[in-house]
Amino acid sequence: MAQINMLGVSKRFGDLEVISDTTLEIKDGEFTVFVGPSGCGKSTLLRLLAGLDDLTSGEINLNKQRIDHLAPAKRGLAMVFQSYALYPHMTVYQNMSYALKVAKEQKTIIDEKVKKTAEILQLSEYLDRKPKELSGGQRQRVAIGRAIVREPKVFLFDEPLSNLDAKLRVQMRIELTKLHKKLKTTMIYVTHDQVEAMTMADKIVVINNGRVEQVGAPLELYRRPANQFVAGFIGSPAMNFFSGVIKDVTATGVHFDINNSGTSIFVKCPGADVSIGEKIQFGIRPEHFVFTKKTDQIVSGEVYAVERLGGETYIYMSSETEDNVIVHCNGDREVKIGEKIDVGFSIKDCHLFNSKGWAIR
Amino acid sequence: MDNSSYRRAKNFRKLKRQLWLSFLLLPPALILIMFIFLPMASALLYSVYDWNGLIRGDFVGLENFKKVLLDPERNWFFFNALKNNVLVFISLMVIQNGTALVIALFLAREPKGARFYQVVFFIPVILSTVIIGFQWKMFLNPVFGLINKILNAVGLNDWALPWLGLPETALPTMILVNAWAWVGFPAIVFLAAIHRIPRDLIEAARLDGGSEWQIAKDIIWPLMAPAVTIIVVLTFIGSFNWFELPYIMAGLEGSPAYSTDMLGLLFYRTAFGSISAGGTEFGIGSALAVIIFLVIFVFSIIATKILVAREVELN
Repeated sequence: MAQINMLGVSKRFGDLEVISDTTLEIKDGEFTVFVGPSGCGKSTLLRLLAGLDDLTSGEINLNKQRIDHLAPAKRGLAMVFQSYALYPHMTVYQNMSYALKVAKEQKTIIDEKVKKTAEILQLSEYLDRKPKELSGGQRQRVAIGRAIVREPKVFLFDEPLSNLDAKLRVQMRIELTKLHKKLKTTMIYVTHDQVEAMTMADKIVVINNGRVEQVGAPLELYRRPANQFVAGFIGSPAMNFFSGVIKDVTATGVHFDINNSGTSIFVKCPGADVSIGEKIQFGIRPEHFVFTKKTDQIVSGEVYAVERLGGETYIYMSSETEDNVIVHCNGDREVKIGEKIDVGFSIKDCHLFNSKGWAIR
Repeated sequence: MDNSSYRRAKNFRKLKRQLWLSFLLLPPALILIMFIFLPMASALLYSVYDWNGLIRGDFVGLENFKKVLLDPERNWFFFNALKNNVLVFISLMVIQNGTALVIALFLAREPKGARFYQVVFFIPVILSTVIIGFQWKMFLNPVFGLINKILNAVGLNDWALPWLGLPETALPTMILVNAWAWVGFPAIVFLAAIHRIPRDLIEAARLDGGSEWQIAKDIIWPLMAPAVTIIVVLTFIGSFNWFELPYIMAGLEGSPAYSTDMLGLLFYRTAFGSISAGGTEFGIGSALAVIIFLVIFVFSIIATKILVAREVELN
């Protein structure tokens, strides 16, 4: 049982505030992913949890016990670093057993725990090897094994897959998800890769500029982003945005014009807090465009790049109002550069954001 | 471009590059030959000849080496000086380099004013040995020296000794002065080595529950092995080439009673003459120089081999 509560946590380095007033609850057994662009503060938040950096203000509780004043090793957390941080002069066995040795655990117990963990992670035959004699994936498993033998209440992962090649990353992603199901321990995982976040998380915490933008289940963030940042960050390729102006607000929704196009759209959003003349952003995901005229709206544009992957096609075009519009379609679609195409979308797939970037619902 | 002209252009580029590299390497190579290899070769040559003052006599083979190592009238001086050099090396390893390690570990934690401390510890390193020798000679003066004045002032009158005048205290005192002067150098080297260790490794050890002592012993110490290799070898070379400080503080005779005599001083006295050693004995002096070189060379090779074996790549 390990529930984490962060209350009003903030962190400053001199005048620079890297984490501001963050309140967050992570439930027992949950796989939570902190996601955000580089430098957004997600790793700092993890380091605050681990005790590697001190809070400027706020508190961190584990199972309702305050832990932010405790030394890192006393918090009952184990961390897997981006660089793996394996001790290069020690063998795999010594790396995995170091924490237990320091804790003066009995040799037979150390041996039992290390060997059992090595078996789970398929590392038994590498126990006598030094880290430099292992592949990236094996090193990664040793780093995870080192965390597992400590039997922590919470696992912290700091971008653990970013040093692996694309194929191994996918494989390790699945391994980690399986491991979570097996151990049923609370895990907090930091990544800038939203695909990792979407595929692994029970809950995603989107962070930007040291602030939590939205917390929710992966598909909840995808379907109902709270603001323009989350809408643009979650989903790959990123959502297309068009500028518009509110023309009318009714009891059932809003009418707006897409800038300079003469196109007027009505979106259902009863009780929307917007005013006539307000500038808005209208978003549509690349995968929500369709090649049919039987849709609510049409966007016309000229193709300037095409990525044909066989199973799917990405079309990059410039429309009358936006220079970069991305269209994703399943299957192979033969489109030529310079070709003029029309793509349609349903109003129900639209996302509207007010002048401050918050979703209009 | 056809094949032959392509090859010609390629060869010309190669030749141009080799000429440029030769031009860059020539000055340092000439300096090395003139000031290192030629003197070494001539010392080796001089050591197998009999010398009458500065006039070369007959070829005597290993006779000069025998005199240094086996002649009962002379070899006491050699083994006494060798013992003192060994003592200096061991003491500096423990006192100077041990203190340097503690300083480096302290500075690596980046305490307030770390930069200031770095400068303070390093300042004596850039001072001339002559200045350090004379300054400490004055501090240690039994009558008006600062050290004894402080000892008397705090009531430790029995401790106020003629530090450089007693055979038991002269060498340890000079070792401490050397350690004071040089501690900044190994400290900076160790500090650089500690800074080279990825922060993640130290943090991982901290999360593993390691105490400061355990982290220093189990993680930092093994990973700073390359710096240790350099410092051990340099300390050995420095200890066996120790000349200026004992010369300035205790004179050419290794006073008192040869308690501060070093191989360097003995070589100088033998080769160039002194009050006690009499006239110049160039052949024997050269044999002594060759022996000193061999001791340093053999130790450096063995120590480097052993110490390099425990070095690990950090990534």
